Amino acid sequence: MLLFGSGAASAHPHVFAEARLDVVLDAGHQHVTALRHLWRFDDLFSSTVLMEFDKNADQKLDDEELKEVSDTIHSSLADYNYFQLVTADGKDVKMRPPAQLIATFDNQQLLVLFESEPETPIPLAGKVDFGVYDPTFYTAIDFTEDANMAVEGLPDTCTRQVIRPDPDTALAQNQKTLTEAFFNDPAGTDMSKIFATKLELDCQPKG
Amino acid sequence: MTRTRLHIGCALLAVTVALVHLPGLAHAQSSLGIGTNDAMPPATGLFAHQLAWINLKQQEFYRALAGAIKAMRQDGSRVWLLIGLSFAYGIFHAAGPGHGKAVISSYMVANEVALRRGVLLSFVSAFLQALTAIVVMVLAWFVLRGTSVSMTDAAWFLELSSYVFVTAFGAWLLWKKAAPPLLRLLGGGSTLPDGHYHADGSYCTQAHGRLRYAAPVASLQAAGELGGKFSESPSPLWGGVRGGGNHPSQPLTADVCATCGHSHAPDPSMLSGDRFDWHTAAAAVAAVGIRPCSGALIVLSFALLNGLWMGGILSVLAMALGTAVTVSALAILAVTAKNWAVFFAGDGSWGARIHSIVEIGGAAFVFLFGLLLLSASLAA
Repeated sequence: MLLFGSGAASAHPHVFAEARLDVVLDAGHQHVTALRHLWRFDDLFSSTVLMEFDKNADQKLDDEELKEVSDTIHSSLADYNYFQLVTADGKDVKMRPPAQLIATFDNQQLLVLFESEPETPIPLAGKVDFGVYDPTFYTAIDFTEDANMAVEGLPDTCTRQVIRPDPDTALAQNQKTLTEAFFNDPAGTDMSKIFATKLELDCQPKG
Repeated sequence: MTRTRLHIGCALLAVTVALVHLPGLAHAQSSLGIGTNDAMPPATGLFAHQLAWINLKQQEFYRALAGAIKAMRQDGSRVWLLIGLSFAYGIFHAAGPGHGKAVISSYMVANEVALRRGVLLSFVSAFLQALTAIVVMVLAWFVLRGTSVSMTDAAWFLELSSYVFVTAFGAWLLWKKAAPPLLRLLGGGSTLPDGHYHADGSYCTQAHGRLRYAAPVASLQAAGELGGKFSESPSPLWGGVRGGGNHPSQPLTADVCATCGHSHAPDPSMLSGDRFDWHTAAAAVAAVGIRPCSGALIVLSFALLNGLWMGGILSVLAMALGTAVTVSALAILAVTAKNWAVFFAGDGSWGARIHSIVEIGGAAFVFLFGLLLLSASLAA
């Protein structure tokens, strides 16, 4: 039991990113048209990136090398839906992959920016949830302050709430789902969903 | 020694092949495509709570570690903080996922390894892992920069090699453990009920206990029986107690067991008091040790870029020390559990059977575990 216990252990983050999410609305403030992401990676990971992509060994990444970084991340994230989980009234919303991703360095830290659009604009009605997380647990995406999940021009009919699940409570509440997920979903996507910080918009129909 | 050399040779070959053949192949081993993730499915169910806690602690440590390196940049005397944190990180890191502890524990369960040797193995493999990380970093810094081979490629290749080794090692261990009983089963199944195996692999069709009270040296025999039990359930726990004599009950049991029709003389390697197979051990260590820990790689590159070579290396060594402590503890726990199981099953056929089953199970686990890691790694 001991062996199997340690064998089936969970992966843990090696990379930390401080994130900001901007939810973009259309001109009439009735639909979500895009999500803008900004991730600032930790010093340690940033230095491995610098080291790995510094082809000409000049201790900094020039435009060509940065392009390489953004292409690598761009193609890898494609398998993970760009770390996005968007639901409207509990139903998954399909997001378009971003055409490109911008990678740059600021104060020795890697910054990644991109914009992703829903296939069709999401109407602001009922509950719309935006989660940003790495389903593989490799990267910990942190929204250090609630203000870092922002919506500009949110109508008065909507409330905005940042949900940060407490790991213990989340585990207790989802024990059954987790056990099922373990057998049905070895990749553990359901598991990470439970722990992800989410922005929830709750909008009443106009009346 | 040949096998050891073979393994070292393989490891060197693996690195060479990695450097020659990897350019052009893009591996998305982690979700970001940079660095390698531990190829482990997240745990759920029974252990989820503890593991979530460990995860949280690891995150906190990781951040503290980054902070300590930064602090060292300003003040060299902070190196002790870094070493202390690295050691703690190693302890916690090993308590989480990882194949090292699973392989070492299973190896110890499947083999009759004295505990202190098992502890030694844990330490050697942990430090080999640290060494691999340092070597990869040195290569990345001095050789790979400016080439199209990235550190991610090299680390990914070593990881894959490690998993191939683990699988092969498990298969070989399984064959060694499962084949003889299987062959005997096919050959003379009818004699099984009363029989048992000896540590030296010989098979006795009669339980030693049968003649205990008939023997004139009953009390001595009882003592011998005790010794016999330990030598058949050759618990590393008793390795120290047994000292040099691996089969202390030998002369006594040989007397009473005349009906066995078997010579119970231990083979020369047993008499030498050393049944420990260094080749097998070296294989286990190599299989575990050639995969660098990604945490170590990340800390090293940060230290390197900031000109803190010494700090980085000390940190990685301290991490290895911490890892070794945890792996040793887990291995001791696993082996002790096995010994208790065999002990309570008692002497005779049941004890021997449980012993065989546990050993074969351990070997099968290493094999399946290697396969699981390998497939997860290739699928990523």
